[in-house]
Amino acid sequence: MKNRSFYLWVGIALGALGILFPHVLPKFQLRMVTEIVVVALLVMTWKMMLNEAGLFSFGHAVYFGLGAYASVLGWLHIKGLSLMSGILLGGLVAGLVGFILSAFLVRMSGTYYALLTLAFNQLIWAIVWKWRNVTGGDDGLGKFPKPDLLGISMKDPTNFYYLSVVLVGVCLFFCWYFTKTPLGNVTKSIKSNEERTRFIGLNVGASKIIFLTMLAFFAGISGALYAQFQEFIGASSIDLVMSTHIIFMAFIGGIGHFWGPLLGSGIYVYLSEYLSHYTDRWELIFGVVVVILVLLAPQGILGITKKRK
Amino acid sequence: METFVIQFIHGLVYGLLLFLVASGLTLVFGMMSVLNIAHVSFYMLGAYLSYTMLKVVSNFWLALIVCPILVALLGILMERLILRRVHAAGHVQEFVITFGILFALNEMIKWIWGSENLSVPIPSTLSGSLLIMGNIYPAYRLFILFFSLLILAFLAFILMRTRLGITVRAMVSDRDMASALGTNTPFVFMLVMGIGSWLAGVAGVIAAPFLGLSSSMGLDFLTDCFIVTVTGGLGSLWGAVVASFLIGQLSSFGILFMPRFAIVFGFLLMAVVLVIKPSGLFGEKA
Repeated sequence: MKNRSFYLWVGIALGALGILFPHVLPKFQLRMVTEIVVVALLVMTWKMMLNEAGLFSFGHAVYFGLGAYASVLGWLHIKGLSLMSGILLGGLVAGLVGFILSAFLVRMSGTYYALLTLAFNQLIWAIVWKWRNVTGGDDGLGKFPKPDLLGISMKDPTNFYYLSVVLVGVCLFFCWYFTKTPLGNVTKSIKSNEERTRFIGLNVGASKIIFLTMLAFFAGISGALYAQFQEFIGASSIDLVMSTHIIFMAFIGGIGHFWGPLLGSGIYVYLSEYLSHYTDRWELIFGVVVVILVLLAPQGILGITKKRK
Repeated sequence: METFVIQFIHGLVYGLLLFLVASGLTLVFGMMSVLNIAHVSFYMLGAYLSYTMLKVVSNFWLALIVCPILVALLGILMERLILRRVHAAGHVQEFVITFGILFALNEMIKWIWGSENLSVPIPSTLSGSLLIMGNIYPAYRLFILFFSLLILAFLAFILMRTRLGITVRAMVSDRDMASALGTNTPFVFMLVMGIGSWLAGVAGVIAAPFLGLSSSMGLDFLTDCFIVTVTGGLGSLWGAVVASFLIGQLSSFGILFMPRFAIVFGFLLMAVVLVIKPSGLFGEKA
């Protein structure tokens, strides 16, 4: 298949670039690339929810924010919690919440699903925001330890960059692998026709729950990585605006493509960084860009290339 | 006892404001099966426009007539220029684009009017207060109450007793069929979009002296508004009436008894309704 070898080459090229980046780019650029990689995982989980199961999540920041908060609280309060276990803790807590929420969410589809996720997002944001003693409310949490990994200091941005790339790569691999498993096929058939899937005798509810829990877990890992990357976590990582940004990034990159989230988060991070140098109103420009982009290229930027082929 | 009555009227006032915004949202959803999230920024725009209008001409009644019409024009423009074009791309894209518009409009409002809180004076004819069961009650809130009831009656009349209403109801129940029967669906849809935005604009103008203006007023309202439309059933006008009444009372009495958890009650109501009946109180299809 021509398509497959094309993807393979893109993958190899990106991998080579990924290894070379820290030696070529200045520190400032490296930070942005790290952010892109971490956020790409989050956007990927959102995109998979829509693409594989046809579920439009409106409150994806919940898993991201909870993963971030859980891991930060872990590093703050559990003595000697290692870096990896902290990140894992973030993923597990997000997965657990995803599991609980999905018990309500599996009954919904379409707009109702989107709205229920929105409601959960607002609810959990309100809890995080009001629970000042634990979460710090508006002020957020900072000054948490950044443990070494196997004796390698993660305070060095280069090392942290490699860690993010490897972790995100592993998570993305699992996401990709999931689509090839029988369970991945079940979610696909739920997307195309839920009623028929049920008629064949497949357990629609359980499949959805497993799928959503898995994505919540990965989103949580992305959140934990992001917290370590920023060395700070605030209520803005779990609010509706964050959820909106995730959706925008996915749409800019193109929802039908594997590399879409990476491209989308790349454009988003660079655009927000450079536009905010020139104007305070970059969010306005961003909103307009999204409107124009969806008008002209409903399938995202990568969608344009596909049409031309 | 008096506190209960006062609190009840409070809830009624807020519920009716919610209804004004939610009714447009739910009607547009019923026709297009796409939720126009930008609807709440129309509400916000109505409020901010009335602020400027009052600064310039200082006549509340003029603002009440002009601002909603401006907002309605914007709604119609948005339908013509943007929504109609994305329709072919699918629901998800339509949904996302209204999101982009919400974002852009909110930022634009912040840009033009600044992000600090503003207040709008209560019109002098309504600035007095009335005695209700021995309690002093601001007349302006009663005005909101009666004005919203008037609009509700007007809306019910149009929907239930006029030809346009029949067309709209037919389109809500089956858009393609109505189109096949010779209804000019794009035109009716544009009209409904205009009426919906007009309602949001009206709600904004009359809410401005009552709730004040802030850059987060749209998003604050968004949540309650969505709870109303989802609890009532998407596309159902009567569902919106009942649900806004319930949410109004819940938030009003919630603040009275458990102020710290007032924000949670609406979600709880929605969660309970959705678990029992996933399509909402009056909704037909999930």
